[in-house]
Amino acid sequence: MSLEKINNPLNARHWIGHMETDYRYTLGVAGERFLKEIKENARIMGAKCPKCSVVFVPPRLYCEKCFTKLEEWVDVGKRGEIYTYTITTIDVDGKKLEKPQIYALIKFEGAHGGLIHRIGETEKVYIGMKVEAVFKPPNERKASINDIAYFKPAER
Amino acid sequence: MSEVAIIGVGCVGFRPMTPELSYKELMFEAAVKAYEDAGGINPREDVDIFVACSEDYLEGFSIFDEFVPDQLGAALRHLFTVTGDGMLGLAAAYMLIKTGQFDTVVLEAHSKASDILTYTDIVQFGFDPIFNRPLGGHPYYVAGLEMTRYLYETCTTEEQCAQVVVKNKRNALLNPHAAYGANITLDQVMHSEKLFHPLKKLEISTPADGCIVMVLASEKVAEKLTDKPIWVKGVGWCTETPSLETRDWTRAVYTRLAAEMAYKEAKITNPWRDIDFAEIHDLFAYKELQHMEALKLCDYGEAGKLTEDGLTSLNGEFPVNPSGGLLGMGYGLEASGLQKVLEVVIQLRGEAGARQIDDAEVGLAHTWRGIPTATGVVAVLSKVK
Repeated sequence: MSLEKINNPLNARHWIGHMETDYRYTLGVAGERFLKEIKENARIMGAKCPKCSVVFVPPRLYCEKCFTKLEEWVDVGKRGEIYTYTITTIDVDGKKLEKPQIYALIKFEGAHGGLIHRIGETEKVYIGMKVEAVFKPPNERKASINDIAYFKPAER
Repeated sequence: MSEVAIIGVGCVGFRPMTPELSYKELMFEAAVKAYEDAGGINPREDVDIFVACSEDYLEGFSIFDEFVPDQLGAALRHLFTVTGDGMLGLAAAYMLIKTGQFDTVVLEAHSKASDILTYTDIVQFGFDPIFNRPLGGHPYYVAGLEMTRYLYETCTTEEQCAQVVVKNKRNALLNPHAAYGANITLDQVMHSEKLFHPLKKLEISTPADGCIVMVLASEKVAEKLTDKPIWVKGVGWCTETPSLETRDWTRAVYTRLAAEMAYKEAKITNPWRDIDFAEIHDLFAYKELQHMEALKLCDYGEAGKLTEDGLTSLNGEFPVNPSGGLLGMGYGLEASGLQKVLEVVIQLRGEAGARQIDDAEVGLAHTWRGIPTATGVVAVLSKVK
């Protein structure tokens, strides 16, 4: 170990560097079908396992339980129920948000999984709350999870 | 098959920042201490394999593993990197010795968190790029989601979670390796800002810099070099689905299965009775409670009550995080697992000073790889072979 150490902070130097990392993420068969259905038909789809009968949302090509290939597609509807939620007050840089943002995991009847998304048009939120997807207008949709603007309290 | 012992430990830090040392120098200092502690071994001759643990994004290098040999004395020697928590490296080191091919293995993990200028962006970059990342937001909202569900299903209270912070930060006051020890009240924690409701600011561990190096050895070498070997009796690890949508949000199943693997090997049938204390991953206060339950130290939903009643405090029946945990020591990123193992070793050797647990013979170390992962590692260590 060094016998002399830097003990004056003004002498402790550093170098600033950064990594640029841009990628294109392939959606794949399941991802493409899922996002296309949202974009073109405002439908939320799951993939059903022929062996365990589990419907996965988001859909994927293989079953995480039994490793079978999934080929059947099921519309799970745009209404779901809040499984868990949180209210965040800061953004990714730690800055205070102008308005708190609610995030939730929304589960759909008969499906395993669900979608994580923002909750809008309400300040009240609780586990078990019924919500429905609010889709952006068709011309603003880009085949992204953000084609769903947010979920709002479901109308009866 | 040879038993495996930890025969040397060296730690630098943990501190909020280390502007006077590069990451290489942090590693060098910890290595010098560990080799000295292991009876004065020479890494150029006495070590068979080196295992370093690091994750490229946290280091700011695209091939960080190439940058680790020199400062450990491992240049032109046999070395590999585990791109994960230090306890995954412990599992690798343990298995290497168990093969009978190698007698002495050096294990390293560090955190130079203060060099990372965009930590939360790196965490967010760990999210699924198609379903989760486009939603934006501070990635710790996932912890808020998990805590809400955990409280709901287990009837654990917010006060019980806050009590973890009070306990751990107080323990840390007695630990010279801890960066964030404090004497705080339950009220202070409860009134700290809810950044990710119901998760509060003071319930979130703050990153810290530090490095830990350990020397592991076979029975044959251990008994020659040290009179205070700490034996690794069992190691287990497990990873759940990365899918936030389908994973279990309450029971930390990854930790349960890792524990079952380690307990089976260590012949632990009743963890609360057979083990004397535990170091448990507490990146967020509620995680200590959730992990206690997953580790079978109590039933689901019981950890909060045990904590509230003081059973997990330093002088309680089953101390949890005597080191001060990550809440008190600081979050050492991929070194957090070795922070846990370090404290277990120090306690079992009887070298923990003011925070020494009486008659500690068997200790448990547990780690988790943080948001958004579902990977856990468990190790059972013992003073007795």
